[in-house]
Amino acid sequence: MNPLRAEFDSIIAEYRGSLPARIERLDALLAAGDIGALARELHTLAGSAGTFGLPQLGAAARAAGDLLARDPGGAQRGELERLLGALRHEACKP
Amino acid sequence: MAAEEKRVYMLTSKGNAELTGASTSLSAADLKLLVMVDGEATVEKIAGQTKNQLSAEAVATMLRELAKKGYIADPDGTAAINVGDFFKEADLGLSSLEQKGFFVRIARRPEPRPKAEPGAKPVEKKKPVVLVVEDDPQLAKMLRTYLKMEDFEVRVAATREEINKALREPPRPDLVLLDVVLPDIDGFDVLAKLRSHEAMKSVPVIMATAKATREAVLEGLRRGADGYVTKPYDMPILMSAVKTVLGIA
Repeated sequence: MNPLRAEFDSIIAEYRGSLPARIERLDALLAAGDIGALARELHTLAGSAGTFGLPQLGAAARAAGDLLARDPGGAQRGELERLLGALRHEACKP
Repeated sequence: MAAEEKRVYMLTSKGNAELTGASTSLSAADLKLLVMVDGEATVEKIAGQTKNQLSAEAVATMLRELAKKGYIADPDGTAAINVGDFFKEADLGLSSLEQKGFFVRIARRPEPRPKAEPGAKPVEKKKPVVLVVEDDPQLAKMLRTYLKMEDFEVRVAATREEINKALREPPRPDLVLLDVVLPDIDGFDVLAKLRSHEAMKSVPVIMATAKATREAVLEGLRRGADGYVTKPYDMPILMSAVKTVLGIA
């Protein structure tokens, strides 16, 4: 295999491998009510997922981030949890 | 007059073209003022640069005239001047971001190399240095690999401390690819600091943003960004923006 292709594949695998920890961090931030840090994490995920060939995960992160921006007080907690659930589902896809 | 002294003006594309073009229709005094605006400056700062040869009031009057002619603009839109050029540029930027994923405001041309004397040792070609400011570790790694593949030398930073360290390290970066949302500092603040730093103010900066909004483009233009790329990255598009800004496209 082309060594460069192998390097890119290894970075993509590393990214995918990092997803469970990223989702755990999102859950922990939500549980702690740290909305600012949660919004930043979602923004980072929204920006990176599409680059690594996971556009639906990126879209779910973006939707959750947009909701937080519109509703920083967390009045729509149920909707946020639904979006985080969708995000979790996308992240767990093989 | 106090509010007038604090008014910020910035060079428009027309003003930039006037400064970089081979000929000019402006007077020497007006050209000198354009040079002093140098991206973005207040009336007060420019008056100070004239070493009291011109009062703030006189500078304000001359800048208003330059703004009416479209060479500079008042980004906040609070002056009774023509700011159409600036906002038009922001709209063009947004449209470019939506259509092709990047907006480049200027393309800096590298200085022409002097012709080598016959028999002289060939000059070693220096790889352009790109500072990637990105807090997602895997994304930073991906950018590093891609840029290295395109024959750039790459430095990566994610935090305020790492950014400062990477900027101090010689040689000075030829380009900064700057994420907007960072863990302990805002990318726009980094841009503002770069633009106010004597040695760094001319380093081209491309902002990387997941938010392609008119407000974000206006903010970047006001603070002196040279280009925008949207996330998620499309690597060929990113490389195209990088090379265009460096004038090597």
